[in-house]
Amino acid sequence: MAKLKVTNLKKSYGNLEVLKSIDLQVTEGEVVCLIGPSGSGKSTLLRCLNMLEEVTSGEVVVNDFNLTDKKNDINKIRENIGMVFQHFNLFPHLTVLENITLAPVDLKKATPQQAKEKALELLERVGLKEKANENPAKLSGGQKQRVAIARALAMNPDIMLFDEPTSALDPEMVGEVLNVIKQLAQEGMTMVIVTHEMGFAREVADRVIFMDNGYIVEEGTPQEIFGNPQNERTKDFLNKVL
Amino acid sequence: MKQKKRMSKLILFFVVVLTMLNIISPITKAEAKEKVYQIATDITFAPFEFQDVSGDFVGIDMDLIAAIAKDQGFKYEMKPLGFNAAVQALESKQVDAVIAGMSITEERQKKFDFSEPYFDSGIIMAVDSDNDTVASYDDLKGQKVAVKTGTEGASFAASIKDEYGFSIVTFDDSANMYEEVRTGNSVAVFDDYPVLAYGIKQGNGLKIVTDKEAGASYGFAVSKGQNTELLEMFNAGLANLKASGEYQEILDKYLETGSEAEEGSGFFGLLKESFPSLLSGLKMTLILTVVSLLIATVLGIIFGLLRIAKNKVLSTIAVIYIDIFRGTPLIVQAFFIYFGIPAALDFRISAVAAGLITLSLNAGAYMAEIVRGGIQSVDKGQMEAARSLGLPYGKAMRKVVLPQAIQLMIPAFINQFVITLKDTSILSIIGINELTQSGKIIIARNLESFQMWLIVGIMYFIVIMILTKVSNVLERRIKNGQA
Repeated sequence: MAKLKVTNLKKSYGNLEVLKSIDLQVTEGEVVCLIGPSGSGKSTLLRCLNMLEEVTSGEVVVNDFNLTDKKNDINKIRENIGMVFQHFNLFPHLTVLENITLAPVDLKKATPQQAKEKALELLERVGLKEKANENPAKLSGGQKQRVAIARALAMNPDIMLFDEPTSALDPEMVGEVLNVIKQLAQEGMTMVIVTHEMGFAREVADRVIFMDNGYIVEEGTPQEIFGNPQNERTKDFLNKVL
Repeated sequence: MKQKKRMSKLILFFVVVLTMLNIISPITKAEAKEKVYQIATDITFAPFEFQDVSGDFVGIDMDLIAAIAKDQGFKYEMKPLGFNAAVQALESKQVDAVIAGMSITEERQKKFDFSEPYFDSGIIMAVDSDNDTVASYDDLKGQKVAVKTGTEGASFAASIKDEYGFSIVTFDDSANMYEEVRTGNSVAVFDDYPVLAYGIKQGNGLKIVTDKEAGASYGFAVSKGQNTELLEMFNAGLANLKASGEYQEILDKYLETGSEAEEGSGFFGLLKESFPSLLSGLKMTLILTVVSLLIATVLGIIFGLLRIAKNKVLSTIAVIYIDIFRGTPLIVQAFFIYFGIPAALDFRISAVAAGLITLSLNAGAYMAEIVRGGIQSVDKGQMEAARSLGLPYGKAMRKVVLPQAIQLMIPAFINQFVITLKDTSILSIIGINELTQSGKIIIARNLESFQMWLIVGIMYFIVIMILTKVSNVLERRIKNGQA
């Protein structure tokens, strides 16, 4: 069953068309990695999946809710879609724990006590329980991103979107973040990941999508894409990055 | 919940302050019982009206109106607004009458009804006491001459300036005008005889060099066709006082013997003597600043948020508000709110209320821009992260963006605090007795303009320094608590 379905999606900034007719389906439990050169539209596509970008035309349907239909409450739908950003976007005026409990408590998903217990449990999962009362500014990049993942998970989403989660990290911190994401994949979380880490994509993805110039150029299993790419542009891109 | 409580506390605080300032229940209260006439006057026109050392308004006009009111049995409240403000207040019917050593002129008679003349003035020219070169109008060729707006001296000077070839510099109060001549910027001053004579007795350093030109007479004015009974009572009372000799006694008290000049009090004597009234002026300055800034903060947050709203109508409303209040001078806004709107819509408003409204709206416009700037300098990713968690726009703004924006806004906010505090001085123009006005009033009595402005300047400086230091400490605390 399609957890997420994108039909004929187009997105323009003024005269510049960055997404040109995208069709995409993600089934429950599937891990999809979006790869492609800078400016290919992969981050924009990801941001359209929870309406951080307004779409110009086309449909985005998540859990049978059409996000492009103004009658649907976008805030409700977003509660089920977690998102992790390249630059973490932790709230600097709140502690690590408060970062995680803010949304569940404020949206009445949990009592403060429940939210705190859940937050500590999530922090333990990402290996940062002892940082609960720390200020985000005191954390390393890798730690920040793990907190950001815990924050997204606190809303119990059934889809997770990752927008280049390791691009802003020092190399030695990439591993700790990817491990957390891998663990989520093993637990069966539905995920769409924009990444430049080809090794990681090969290891964790059920399906890899190569985008270029606003189109989905080629998609397939990691073996197909990395082992035997068909399209010239895919070959060209992989030659440069591998 | 906590925030709601805080909000209602804030509102309660406003109500208390406004009530204390007696804004909420203005004139109607008095009118309901017995008519209390509101009479406006100048504040710096010795010997007709000026403040004595103990802070009471005294002078020929003050004594005269008191004696007439007693004779005729009516009640009045004296409003020392300054001459221009008093005339405008009468025009806009904010007051019932004006007694301010006002000459009866044809032009004024178009708008006002005047009493019988109660004083025959005259114009006289004075120069610096060390000046031996200017002794007649002929010596004024190519020179500058100081006058005070709206006085007979001013119209007389204007009438002869082409004939004798001098130019005119206009001032709003006598002390500044005398200072102009003392510093040599202008060579001579034309002023109403009694005023100049009083000034010279007070040691203003000038000397009279010409004979008195016959001038028009001073009258008590009401709006045309209004308060005729008050005018009749004034005339009847004046006739009675003249008959009894009390009228002459009042004139003699101020003109023959003069008020006793204050001798050699020096800077510290001056400071000691004027400190109580300056302190009460400072209190008013601080009240105006704090209350209007609180209101401005609320306005600033509302209009700052509207300004960045996606809705075009809302953001346009905010832009119009901000542009109007940033695009016009505070003094024009004050006049408009105190005189213009009440006159057009036919209601009265107290000067303090008008001042608070003006300052709040003015500072609110600047605060809106500070709020907008603060919000826009918070990283866009913060809003996105909050929205991605399912928080609606308003909640994301309140819980995530605003707390960070406020931190960024603190320096600009402190700056606005200082600006607003200084801007209160402009409100002296509508007769609010804040620090600058207190200074003007004292100078009108003792004519020590240099030393008094020095004292007033130092007082502003000290208060602003203290507030800035306190704010800086506060800012550091907030930053350290959250970094």
